[in-house]
This record gives sequence, C-alpha cells and structure tokens, in this order.
Amino acid sequence: MLVLSLVLVPIVVGLALLVVRNENPTMSRTIGALVALYTLVAAVASHGSEWSYRWLSRPFEASFHFGDTAISYWLVLLLAICTLCAILATNVPRQRAFIAQMLLLEGAMLGLFLARDLLLFALFWDLMLLPVFFTLLGWGEHVATAWRYFIYNFAGGLCLLLATAAFGMLFGSTDVIGRSDVHLVGAWVPWIFWGFAIAFLVKTPVWPLHTWMPLTYSDTPSPMVAVVSAVQSKGGLYGLIAIGMAFMPDYLKAYAGIFVVLGVISLLYGAFVAVTQNDAKRVVAYSSLSHLGLIVIALASFNATALQGAVIYIVAHGLFSAALFLILGFVESREETRSLVRLGGLGAANPRLAGALCIAALAALGLPGLAGFVGELVILTGIFQAGFTIPAILALIPIVLASAYMLRLFQGIMNGPEVPDLPVRRDLGWLEGLALAPLVLALVVLGVNPHALTTFDASAYNAVASTLQGGTR
Amino acid sequence: MTHYQMGNPGSYPYLLALWLLPLVGAIVAWAFGPQLKRLAGPLCSALLGASFVATLLSWHDATQSVATGAANLVGAHQALVSWIPGFNFGLLLDPLSLLWTCIITGVGFLIHVYSIGYMEGDNAFARFFAYLNFFVFAMLTLVLSDNFVGLLVGWGLVGLASYFLIGFWFYKPSAVAAARKAFVINVAGDVGIMFAIFMIVASVHSISYGDVFGSVGSLSTPWLLAICICLFIGAAAKSAQVPLHTWLPDAMEGPTPVSALIHAATMVTAGVYLVARCAPLWSQSPDAQLLVGSIGGVTALAGAILGCVQWDIKRILAYSTMSQIGYMIMGVGVGAYEGGVAHFFTHAFFKAQLFLGSGIIIHALANEQDVRRMGGLVKKLPFAFVAMLVGVLAICGIPGFSGSFSKDAVIYGTLQHGHPVLYAVGILTAGITAYYMFRLLFVTFLGAYRGEVDPSDLGIRHPELAGTHTAHDDHGHDAHHAPAWLMNVPVGILIVPSILAGWLLFGGENSPWAHFFAQQFPQATLATPAVSEMTTTLIVLACVAIGIAIAWRRYATRDAQDTAVERLRTESVKMPAILANAFYFDAALDLVFVRSSQLLGTLFGRLIDPQVIDGAVRETAFSAQWLGTFVRSFQTGLVRAYAFILVLGVACFLVYYAVTAGGLH
Repeated sequence: MLVLSLVLVPIVVGLALLVVRNENPTMSRTIGALVALYTLVAAVASHGSEWSYRWLSRPFEASFHFGDTAISYWLVLLLAICTLCAILATNVPRQRAFIAQMLLLEGAMLGLFLARDLLLFALFWDLMLLPVFFTLLGWGEHVATAWRYFIYNFAGGLCLLLATAAFGMLFGSTDVIGRSDVHLVGAWVPWIFWGFAIAFLVKTPVWPLHTWMPLTYSDTPSPMVAVVSAVQSKGGLYGLIAIGMAFMPDYLKAYAGIFVVLGVISLLYGAFVAVTQNDAKRVVAYSSLSHLGLIVIALASFNATALQGAVIYIVAHGLFSAALFLILGFVESREETRSLVRLGGLGAANPRLAGALCIAALAALGLPGLAGFVGELVILTGIFQAGFTIPAILALIPIVLASAYMLRLFQGIMNGPEVPDLPVRRDLGWLEGLALAPLVLALVVLGVNPHALTTFDASAYNAVASTLQGGTR
Repeated sequence: MTHYQMGNPGSYPYLLALWLLPLVGAIVAWAFGPQLKRLAGPLCSALLGASFVATLLSWHDATQSVATGAANLVGAHQALVSWIPGFNFGLLLDPLSLLWTCIITGVGFLIHVYSIGYMEGDNAFARFFAYLNFFVFAMLTLVLSDNFVGLLVGWGLVGLASYFLIGFWFYKPSAVAAARKAFVINVAGDVGIMFAIFMIVASVHSISYGDVFGSVGSLSTPWLLAICICLFIGAAAKSAQVPLHTWLPDAMEGPTPVSALIHAATMVTAGVYLVARCAPLWSQSPDAQLLVGSIGGVTALAGAILGCVQWDIKRILAYSTMSQIGYMIMGVGVGAYEGGVAHFFTHAFFKAQLFLGSGIIIHALANEQDVRRMGGLVKKLPFAFVAMLVGVLAICGIPGFSGSFSKDAVIYGTLQHGHPVLYAVGILTAGITAYYMFRLLFVTFLGAYRGEVDPSDLGIRHPELAGTHTAHDDHGHDAHHAPAWLMNVPVGILIVPSILAGWLLFGGENSPWAHFFAQQFPQATLATPAVSEMTTTLIVLACVAIGIAIAWRRYATRDAQDTAVERLRTESVKMPAILANAFYFDAALDLVFVRSSQLLGTLFGRLIDPQVIDGAVRETAFSAQWLGTFVRSFQTGLVRAYAFILVLGVACFLVYYAVTAGGLH
C-alpha cells in the first residue's frame, strides 16, 4: 500500500491544491514540500515491496502493479529529491496552482517509474505530459512552445501505446516490467521495438528529434524544468533499459548501430551548439542533449561496465542539471535576464550563489571528484571495452567542449567587472540554500564514493545477463 | 599478469596525515573565512608545515626496502577505498613520490608564509589560502595515488586549483580569460589520460600501477605506443609542452606566489612526474621515448627563444619555466630519469626563488611588471637583487650552483641514451637561457630607474595592456603592510638549496641521488659517448659565457646603461612579428579549435535546428491539416524536407562508417 500511496498522494494533494482557494504562497510551498518529503521517505521505506490489482484479463492481462526495481529505485529517489528541492525553490506568480502542477508531475512520474505493467507505464507516460503542458500554457513565454512540447511527446506516446497494445496481444500480458523471463520473438517484434524506441528517443531527446527540447527548457519556469530535465528526460533511458534491453535485447543489439550513431551525433551536436548559445538556460538544454547522447551510446554498447556507468550518469546528470536550472532560476528572478551577454560580475556580491553555480557547472563538465566524472569515465571505459573505439574517441571531444561552455556559463554570470545597471539584489537566501544543498552534497558524495550506485544487480535483466556473455571479453 | 607489487602494504598514519592536512586547511579556510580573517594565512601555513613534518617522518617508510620472495618492495603502500568495483584506491609513497611530496609540502610551506605578506590587505585573503591549500591537497593526490584513475583525479583537481588561482582576481577580464584558457587546455590533456586509461583497462583489466607495469610485457608494441602517446598528451598540456603551452604565459595573471608554487615549482612538473612514474612503459617503447624527448627539446628551445623577447618580468620567468620543463621532459623522455627528476628538484628551488624575488619587486613597485619601467633597482632593493642573482646563476648552470648539476645530467643523459641532436639542442638552449636571464637581471637592476619615464618613450604601446597591470587596487592595499620579513625569510631560506641542492648529484654512480633512486627506475644499457661528461660541462659553460657576454654588451656596459631608454624603445618597436606573436601558436590554436567550434555551433544552432529540422517537421507534419495550404506547403516543405533528409542521411552515413570502421561487432 505504501507503494501505491507514493503515486496517489502527490496526485490527490495536487488536485486538491488546484481547487482550494487559499492563495498564501508559503502555505502551498510548505504543503508541496511536505508531500515531496513524504514521497522520499516512503520511497526508501517501500523499497522492494509491490502492490498489484488485476485490471484486464482480455484481450491480454494487465494489472495496476506498482513496485520499484533495481534501476527505478534510483530514479524514484532522484525524482523525490529533485521535486523537493524544486518546490523549496519555487517562487512564482500563482504559486498555489504551480505547486499543484509540480505535485501532479511528480505523481505521474512516480507512476511511470514504479509501474510494473507496460499498460500502466504507457498511461503514465502520457499523463506526465499534462502538467508540463499546462505549466507552459500558464507560465511559459510562448504558447507555441507548449504545443510543440505536447505534439512531439504525444506523438511519441501514441507510438508507445500502440507498441504496448501489440506487446500485450503478442505476449498475452503486459504485467512484465522487472521480470527476467520475458523474451519477445516474432515477425512483429521489430515494429513493437521501434514503437517503444521512438517514444524513448523523443523523450530523451536524441538528435534529430530534439528540437522541442531547447524551447521547452528555456520557456518553462525553472523549478519545473529542473524536474523535467533531471528526471522526465530519463523516462526514455529508463524505458530503453527496462523494456528495450530487457524484453527485446536481440533487436536492440541488431539496431545498436543506429542508436550509437544518433547518440554520437547528439553528443557532438549538443556540445557544439552549447558553446555558442547566449541564453543561459539553452546552454544547459543543449548540454543535456550532449550528455544524454552519451548514455544512449552506453545502453546500445551492451556492455556491463557501460551500463553501470549509465546508471551512475543518469543520477549524476539528474542532480547537476536540476541544480543548474534552479540556480539559473535564482539568477533570472534577481536580474530579470538570463542572457550571458548582459549578465556578469555577480560573484562579488553573491559568493554563495557563485559557489553553488560553480560546483554544479564543474560537475556538469566532468570534474574528477564529482559525480559526473564517475559516470563519464565508467561509461567510456565500457564503450571502449565493448569495441566501440571511434565513438569512444569522438565522445572525448564534447568533454573538452563541456569545459568551455560550462566555464563560459559560470564566468559569464559570475565573473568579470560588475555590470552597473543590473539590479544585483541579494545572495542566496536560506530557503534557496536549503533547496540546493541536497543536490550539491549528493554530487560531492557520489563523486567521492559512487559505490552505492554500483550495487545495481545486472542479473535482474535477462538481456543484461546475456550481454555479459556477449558484450565483454 | 605477472604479480608486480609496488610498495610495502601496511597502515601509515603519517602518510594519511600529510595527505589530508592541507584538505582540512582548505575546508576550514573556505567555510570559516569571514570568521578567521587574517588567521587563515597562518593556519593554512601551519597545517602545511605539519604536513611537511609528516613527510619527513614517513621518510623511513618510503625508502625502506623489504625483500619479499623474488621482488624488493620499496616504499609504503596504504590501501584506501574501493571506489567502484575493480577500481581500488590507495596511496603509494616511494622515493619518486617522496621527492615530489617533499617539494610540494616544503617549498609549498615557504610560499604559503611568503603569501601571508604578499596577500596582506587583499579582500579575499582567506579564500586565497583555501585555494592554495586545496591545490596542495590535489597535487599530493596526484603524486601519491597508486593508480591511474587517482592520478587523473589529482590531475583534474590541480587544474581546478590552478583555474581558481589564475582567475583569483575574477573582476579582471584578462584573468578570467586566462583562467578559462588554462582550464580548457588542461582538460584536453585530461582527456588524453582518460583515453590511456580506457586502453589500459581494456588490455590489463586493472588501473593500479603495479598491475599495469607488471604486464607491460604482454602489451603489443603499437598498443603500448598508443598508451604512451595518450598519457603524454596529458603530460604535455599540464607541463606546457609545445603546442599546448600557450596557457602558461597567460597564467601569470594569477598572484605571484601562485606563479611560484603552481606554475613553476610543482603543478607544471606533473608531466615530468607522469613520465618518470610510467618509466616501465616508456622504457619498452623507444618510439614514445623519441617523441617525448623531441617535444621536450623543441619546448626547451622555443621557450628560451621566446624568453628573450618578453618585457613582463613574470612572462620572462614563465617562458623560462616552460624551457626548463622542456629539459626535464627531454631527460625523462630519453630515459635519463634520474637527471630529469633532478632538474625538477633543483628547478623547484631556484625558480620559486626567482618568482618570489620578482614578487618582492612587483610588490615594492605597486604591481609594476614591465622590466622596461624598472632599472636601477639594485640600490633600492638589494635583497631582491641578491635573491634574483642566485636564482639566475643557478638557472644558468654556473658551476657550483644547483642548476649546473641537474642540467648537465640531462644534457649528458641525452647523449648517453643516443640522441646527439637533443644533446646539441640542450647545449644551445643553455646558452640562450644565460642570455635572457642576464638580460632580465641587467635591465631590472642596472642603470637608472625608468619608472618615471613616459611609457611611450620606452616603446610601450598600450601601457594598460602590456603586462603593466596598472590596477593598483589589485590587492586593495591599505596603509599597514605586513612585516617585510614574512616575504624575505622564505626567499632567504630558498637561497640555500638553490645553491646546494645540486651537490646531491655529486659523485655520479655513488652520489646520494643515485643511491636514493637505486631501485626506482628501469636501468637501460648506456652507450659510452665519444664526448666525456667533463667536456660536456665545458661546452655548456662556453655557451653560457657567450650568452652572458651578449647580454652584457647589450644591456650592462656603461654605454648601454646610459642609452637604456633609447635602446629599449628600439628593441620594442623593431621586434619581429613572429616573435612578438610567440610563433603564432595562440593564433593557430584559436583558429583551428576555438573558431571552428564556434562556427559549427552557430551553424547547428542558427541554421540546422530552426531551419532544416524544424522547417521539415513543421511543414510536412502540420500543414497537412489545412487542406487549403496543402499545395503551398508541399512546394516549400518539400525543399526543406529534402534538405532535412539530406543532412540526416549524410550525418548518419558518415558517423556509421566511422563507427563500423572502429570495429562495431
């Protein structure tokens, strides 16, 4: 039941917040934070437990089946922490409604990661679009961005739904996530595979399906985009592991070339574009395209080491991208701009804000000792071991570029002479500091001691188990 | 995999203490800076002093030799943590890392004390010491690590510390740009080491030095060469070797003690450490040795030539550092490990002393760094003159001073290992070194003081740019100055090893130096060159004498002193463009890497994203909804869809072939 409450509590409280009439911003923030804290505690407490209720018997079996798996556990924790931090950092007009959207988003994504049933997974996949869509309509800068986000992702969701239905018809049950004995065969499987894959690649996103992402990331208010980039984008990668790799490993292997190619292009393309962006949020958006491309390569390489690195990097990227977006939100709310051309010299008056941005940017550029480096190093070691020599070499270029664009971001905002007509207001407040502390702390702790994240049990998935024989030497 | 263990496993509290004390200092000074205020300097210095004492206390552990079965284990090995499965971290203190640790903590301590005086009055006094202590911790991590990933962690962290300290005065745009440049070039080097680690893990399945060096025999020649080259990319970036050296002169934007500690004595020698540490790899790969030795030689010569045409006192020293590290790399590259490492040891003293001496001058002249605006300082700053004079004599290799022993060991080593060209380069560079170092000495200290002369009369075109950091409030100097002894005493102490350190090499095979490293480096069979060691020393001395004589004629004769203003202007104005632009390395790197990246980024971000991809998606996918506009969209959309598919196809095609060529499946 605790597992079920993880999904239901945020959704119910979120819906309730939508209808109540108390506009006190602190009150709604407190409620939101408490709910997020509850999900964090409940996620730890319910680790390993399941809850199931039969939903359909015909034409295939489907259940309301919730429970975490070896990988989704980390995503659930990441989601709960990021949501908590983002809600603490929220300070927007119409706060109550915004917090409500944040909670609905958290609930929908918890449903996605906890779903042990494919149909449920597909349901939450589409549900989690709505809070972002409504937020873009209500708080975004351009209506067109909202529609672009929705249409891209809904088209992906449609593919996912069709593929799920076909999966159910073929296998007879969709209650399969986390099972290691499901291995799909048949003439239809390539179609099913690509149905899933397109949805995942749009969500991640991967070049050339990425053009909804920079706009969405720069238009969405920072607390929401922190969660979207940190966790929602991982939905696709999680799907690739939990569905593509687990049930259709032969197909993922057969099409690995395509995934690697798209991953490499995303990796390079995102990094080159990030170097030239002047909108701070877009720098981070394109860096995301680049970083997540690396994870796509890792998954397609079918190597146990790379997979381990991918799990580490998924968590690390979640932490530093959430931190970066939250900090950029703080900067924007103070200076009313996020243009790197306009900003500058804030570090002198805001040492704490500068310190936080510095650590987040260093983690993002892969500084040894912080979490991002561990993921990159382990992934690339695995890719190279698996025989993908050229991708491993090409993947080194974005590391150098990342140091250039991340330092440009940091220095452009914090260093240089103070800009006289910028309304420099105040350094990080205690609440903002509290919002960033868990993220920054986790980046350091995981960088120094990533051991906890590597306890992920590869044998949980038959695909991965077969990988171990096929992929490594 | 042959069993090959490095160091005697055990528990070594002094080793842990010497490693962690600077980290404690960094955290405390960073977190409690506002509360500590002036105390941060003495506190961090004291912790580093304690770290130096701990180093001395672990001397015995580091040098003891324990016979276990077939092998002799030298040094102390302290296991730490399992980082991720298969990657275990530990500390290794053997003679090689002990040498570096002594310099890092010992010279580091002196520079810390000096900094208390030099940085007095700076608004961010505590932050400075936090960074400085953090640097020491990072550098100790680098040299004490027992594996390649730990080395890379230290490698990255010293780069970060260097970034922080170059950009310490972060309101100066020039400092900010220099810091970023240094960091990015060093990341390019890190990436080289990273790739070497991939190759090592793929072939040896381990990252620890012992396992890797123990299985050198099982590696194929090209594979070993590739590993060595990739490691050397890292070494070249960190140690400012051509063509990755361009960040070092710019790094002089940092406070002078930083230049002394990081950009002269310790961090920039990390490349020398890496090559010496991986001696078992290099010794098996003559091609790699030739490459490394040659790059070291080119760097030594290029740095010396560029040192002759600088006017900023710190840039002169920066180029001389680059040149001297070129010597070290040349030494360890060709296999003369003991000589190369010895030059690191002596250089750390005399170069730190030169930088600290120049810091006294800069401090006294309110941040003036252009030697053209100095002159006649021998009367004003006699102590600085003595300090600089000893440093100059040492770096030039005047017999009896430390530099002569180590430099001759490197030069003669190249010949012993069969590289006569590098031998000639070494001798030539020694002559040029003498010229530019005495030029520095004469222009700064002799003649009349030129600080009141109009800058344009001296040929200084942009006084605000040409090295003269006129931002006099850099330190935010207030009325009370720290006692001068805080700066003078460390410099005075450094004079002793600047003169004497080289004597450790006296006695050839039986010297203390050879004894210290007896079990460290693989022994190569040496040729007996036609030229003896004594003759080499004499040839070097002759070249040095010529260099000094030229400098004397140009800057120190009575006539030259009287017409100094005129002569300096002529020299400034008539400087050949190729030298004034430092052989165009900066411009070339900028064009090849920076401009091209920006061009690609602009192309992707401004054209392909909004026009090609979006255009195609928008028009083909959405406009079909409106039948009335269907035909128009068909016309315009088709072109874009074409372009889209073309770009998509070409990109996929290229990358796919690149990938399959790399051995997919």
